[in-house]
Amino acid sequence: MRVAVYFCQENPEAGGGVNLDSVAKYAANLPDVVQVKSLGVRPKLSPEPLAVEIGEQGLDRLVVAGDSPGYFKPAFTRAMALAGRDPAEVRLASFREHGAVSHDQTERAKAIVACAVSGVPFWLAAVPKFTTVHPDVLVVGAGIAGIQAALEIADAGKRVYLIERTGTIGGHMAMFDKTFPTLDCAACILTPKMVAVGQHEMIELLTMSEVEAVAGLPGDYRVTIRRQPRRVDPDACVTCAACSEACPVTVPSEFDCGIASRNAIYMPFPQAVPNAYLVDEASCRYIQSGGEKCGVCVRKCPKGCIDLDQGVELVEVQVGSIVLATGYDVYDATRIERYGYGVYPNVLTALEFERLTNASGPTSGRIVTQTLRHNKRTKRDEWVFDPAGEPPASVAIIHCVGSRDHNHNSYCSRVCCMYSLKFAHLVREKLPDSACFEFYIDMRAFGKGYEEFAERIREEGTFVVRGRSGKITEADGRLLIRGEDILSDSMLEFPVDMVLLSVGLVPAHGADRLGALLGVGCDDDGWFSELDYNGDPTDTERGGVFVAGACQGPKDIPDTVAQASAVAAGALRSILSGRGYGSMSTLLLSDIEARARELAVGMGPAARRGD
Amino acid sequence: MATRVNPKLIDDLEIYGAQDVSKCYHCGNCSAVCPFSQGERIFPRRSMRHLQLGLEERLQADLEPWLCYYCGECSEDCPREAEPGETMMSLRRWLTSRYDFSGISRLFYRSWKAELWAILLVALLTGVGFLLLGFVQGDLEIYDGPGAFLPSHIVHWFDWGMAAVLVILLGINCARMWWFTMGKEGRANGTHVPLGQYLARAFLVPYHFITQARYSRCEHKRPWAVHLVLMLSYVTMLVLIMFFLGSMQAGPGIDWRVHVFGYAAALGLVVTVIFAMRGRVTRTEAHYKHSHESDWIFLILLLTVAVTGILQHILHRAGLDAAANIVYVVHLMGVVPMLVLEVPFGKWAHMAYRPLAMYFSDLQPRAVPSRSRVEPVRPAGASSGRA
Repeated sequence: MRVAVYFCQENPEAGGGVNLDSVAKYAANLPDVVQVKSLGVRPKLSPEPLAVEIGEQGLDRLVVAGDSPGYFKPAFTRAMALAGRDPAEVRLASFREHGAVSHDQTERAKAIVACAVSGVPFWLAAVPKFTTVHPDVLVVGAGIAGIQAALEIADAGKRVYLIERTGTIGGHMAMFDKTFPTLDCAACILTPKMVAVGQHEMIELLTMSEVEAVAGLPGDYRVTIRRQPRRVDPDACVTCAACSEACPVTVPSEFDCGIASRNAIYMPFPQAVPNAYLVDEASCRYIQSGGEKCGVCVRKCPKGCIDLDQGVELVEVQVGSIVLATGYDVYDATRIERYGYGVYPNVLTALEFERLTNASGPTSGRIVTQTLRHNKRTKRDEWVFDPAGEPPASVAIIHCVGSRDHNHNSYCSRVCCMYSLKFAHLVREKLPDSACFEFYIDMRAFGKGYEEFAERIREEGTFVVRGRSGKITEADGRLLIRGEDILSDSMLEFPVDMVLLSVGLVPAHGADRLGALLGVGCDDDGWFSELDYNGDPTDTERGGVFVAGACQGPKDIPDTVAQASAVAAGALRSILSGRGYGSMSTLLLSDIEARARELAVGMGPAARRGD
Repeated sequence: MATRVNPKLIDDLEIYGAQDVSKCYHCGNCSAVCPFSQGERIFPRRSMRHLQLGLEERLQADLEPWLCYYCGECSEDCPREAEPGETMMSLRRWLTSRYDFSGISRLFYRSWKAELWAILLVALLTGVGFLLLGFVQGDLEIYDGPGAFLPSHIVHWFDWGMAAVLVILLGINCARMWWFTMGKEGRANGTHVPLGQYLARAFLVPYHFITQARYSRCEHKRPWAVHLVLMLSYVTMLVLIMFFLGSMQAGPGIDWRVHVFGYAAALGLVVTVIFAMRGRVTRTEAHYKHSHESDWIFLILLLTVAVTGILQHILHRAGLDAAANIVYVVHLMGVVPMLVLEVPFGKWAHMAYRPLAMYFSDLQPRAVPSRSRVEPVRPAGASSGRA
């Protein structure tokens, strides 16, 4: 076999960071390679001289290497045909396709060339060594993705450690009122799953916990978990609320997105799992004073289950697989000043509105505007959502807040159009006399039943305006919204009582740190990188580490649940077979070379296997 | 009437500075943040759309580009970095070349080298002409009074002659502007603005020219202030030169009744021009982010004229009449091309177009149906229904 390697770069700026000289030198030393040529950037190729070259050198196989060598393949194929050789013996060594784009991925580029020279597809030869797999699984994050993955794995009889940063599982879905497009009650879907997690004998639930350190290799990780003190014994607590009634501290509730308040000792919401109180270290007077003040909750507790002096605990678990399901945060709307979020009380973010319209929320689901109320304790006037407050006569919803915007996040957050339409439905359903306006750029109703849902909202009488409103000011105590109605070619400027900002999704805070701990990469926007977007959407470069849900990229609930189940299948596959994939990054060039040679023996020439 | 589309228009506008029009995805953010986008006058998004579609004739009939002062807020907030503010600026350049009957403006905007050569040529002719005048009838050693190298009454006549030519040239372009935006448009719509309305609202032209009141409504106030100072300084200087050149040139004493205005105007010119140049170098403010070659040529000319004007004045008061005369010639070599080329064909034409655009945009809603009105053909079912 006589092989020639040609280097052609299509766009060296986009994916040509590889050290080409080094790769070329390496290729020249490969067995069977008789000629290596660098043709530069976007060479003008004509088949005839190439055919002459093929004849003179007696070449049997051509390897076209570069960032996107597919662009140049036709000329080489034609040349082979002209020279009377097998045109199928033009092999591509595509650096970009196989993930060799930067300087430190030069070794991978060499491996890609080696595979092409041997005539073996890269993905077949570049399989990380199989490892033995410990049967336990760690799931990081207990939103709907983590819950689903944990339940699937645990139901298959495998042990799962489910860790969660906050005091309860449920994540963002627990905050939602309804799901789109079916308008199901979110809690009705989620809470049975939460209870199942809490009661499952194969799930060990660790709330208020974060990954501290990771040691070991794929298939056998030892993970140190930092467990913040709950300061209430969850097994003994009967949620009688005697402690929180006595607590002198009130702070904004995280679960209610700050539109309601909680005490320093509190339950995030009544259906929380574990169903027990917890103490917030940052606001507890006893803890902040170093144990000198307060402590009234301890005295009031009838079960004696509060221990305000409980300390941090480090737990080490041994697992074979790790599932990342850390979810998302919402975009900080205060960064877009022209919408007046944080300045005008009735400009709300999507999550705040979810809590407002939620039947278990602070207004029992009544949609009201904020009212000014005198707080006797702080002696200040404060804006509050009063269940007896005034309902808005008109509501405007602004899409793409922080998304599809080069000044903020350039990506589409995928869920905002649909949840905005859901909001319009809820407003019109609860306040039939109100007017509701959707200001959108493009309506992205991409899923099953979504377009029909969007159509339904229009028919229900919501004014769907093409044109993202640009500005909100205050006039006569109402919010003056200004925008362009592009389809009717007119400017709009009218007062509304409430503005909802459809904020986009951003990676959960701390995801980058977790990724670094585990050796899982993040893309430019901070979402965890999957191994292959199409073929391996749940695996990562790191063997035995999977991604589920929005931590991989913005996702709605159906997609998140589907991916979580897929992750469970992946984890179970490696547990049940006792073998899992290692990490791509641990692959050695010599291993790939050896495996490619091994495979090449079994493969005849001129195969139609593709490159 | 069929609408003619020029698909190359968007590429053509690139030469005038609009590089990113095709990036626009029409969210309407720019129109929403613009304080001037109101009622029927919706921009910049609509202009972006017309450009993408290549609706050349509609753009030519639009007054909107002149209603934009380039505060830059639309460009700052643009989610696509499509630079709507710079697009409006480029449209103003393009419109200037469209209004100009001679094609000179078009040539200058498309080739800065041509503009530069033209300026050098006119400067050279001016220099030779005034040197000849000086050596033939005067004495290089005498700046003013009898035997002056460049006697003020001759320069004065020259100024008035040049002014008359400029008014005619600019007047023709303004008439064309009227035809594109009012006459032709009105005929297409079967409407016209009554003459009485033209007369009744005519005060708007000087009003907008002097106060630039509209500009002050932009969110950022500084560009308005800088522009106002620059404009007022220039107009002051123009009045002094056109009516008081004799007193300006007389020396060696200082005639405070005239010179105090001269000093204020000179200071205003130099400070604002340097400010604008600094802005275009540092690019911190949105409207200075993109500079067309014509912007630089304009500023450099203005600075040259201001500095040489001040210098000849100082030299003369210092008793260095010969040097003052030489600098005076250089000064005129800057002034003449600046006025002859920039006022009717270049950036300075906007001093007429902008107030006129505000005048016209005020008049357009006052149009009444013409007698020989042709009923416009509307496609069936084209109602005013909201999509």
